[in-house]
Amino acid sequence: MVSTRNPDADVFGAIGHPARRHILDLLAESDRSVSAIASHFEISRPAISQHLRILLDAGLVTEERHGRERRYHFIPERLAPVRDWLALYERFWDDRLQKLQNVLAKKKGKQ
Amino acid sequence: MSRMIRKEILIPQSREEVWQAVTDSATLAEWMFPNDFAPQVGRQFTFEVPPNPQANFDGLTVRCTVLECEPPRRLAFSWTAGGLVDTRVSFELEEEGAGTRLRLEHAGFDLAAPWGEQAFKGAEYGWAKMLKQLVAILTNTDSQTSEGSST
Repeated sequence: MVSTRNPDADVFGAIGHPARRHILDLLAESDRSVSAIASHFEISRPAISQHLRILLDAGLVTEERHGRERRYHFIPERLAPVRDWLALYERFWDDRLQKLQNVLAKKKGKQ
Repeated sequence: MSRMIRKEILIPQSREEVWQAVTDSATLAEWMFPNDFAPQVGRQFTFEVPPNPQANFDGLTVRCTVLECEPPRRLAFSWTAGGLVDTRVSFELEEEGAGTRLRLEHAGFDLAAPWGEQAFKGAEYGWAKMLKQLVAILTNTDSQTSEGSST
């Protein structure tokens, strides 16, 4: 396990890599095994496993045993910090634009 | 996952008036933050978000470069602050009746290379700090904002 002081930072780190975002896209469609994931990539299976490890550590993915193989399952709720972060910027701009309207209305009143 | 923020509002003032409010440094300071903006492509400027000791917020500098400036229609600049690197903000003004339709876009939240993995590693430069700063900005500089009517 990777130890960090801020576990949520791992979520951002985990989706910072294009290969891992692609893996999440695939897992969003359905649960898949490592080899099923690897068939969509040019990179080696060990490399895929390494990416999966990071996704597992960030809690974005869980693994389940199905007979002899393990399948990976995407937990979209774990992306909440990313959504919250964007939501804050949404609010930021709502507030700014409201202020812009107030400023313009005030100027109009003075004329 | 949203990768771009889009806002659209209809403002009763003329396009020239809105353009002035968006591109005049002093007016911009009234609804954004103190800045050294000038409406020239390539101009580098900053928004200085003031500190607020009460909220334990030490202030924040947003670094920008003007990317497009076509009076009175379109203004775009880059936006770098905290963990947010080289995102792009644009304003588009369109005449609508006697008023102006303003379209705001803040793009580049695509979690791709510029954000970088290392940008979010480590407690110092993490997103958590950025979140706290934004919360402080929102809850303290805008407490007197009147009722919203933006669409």
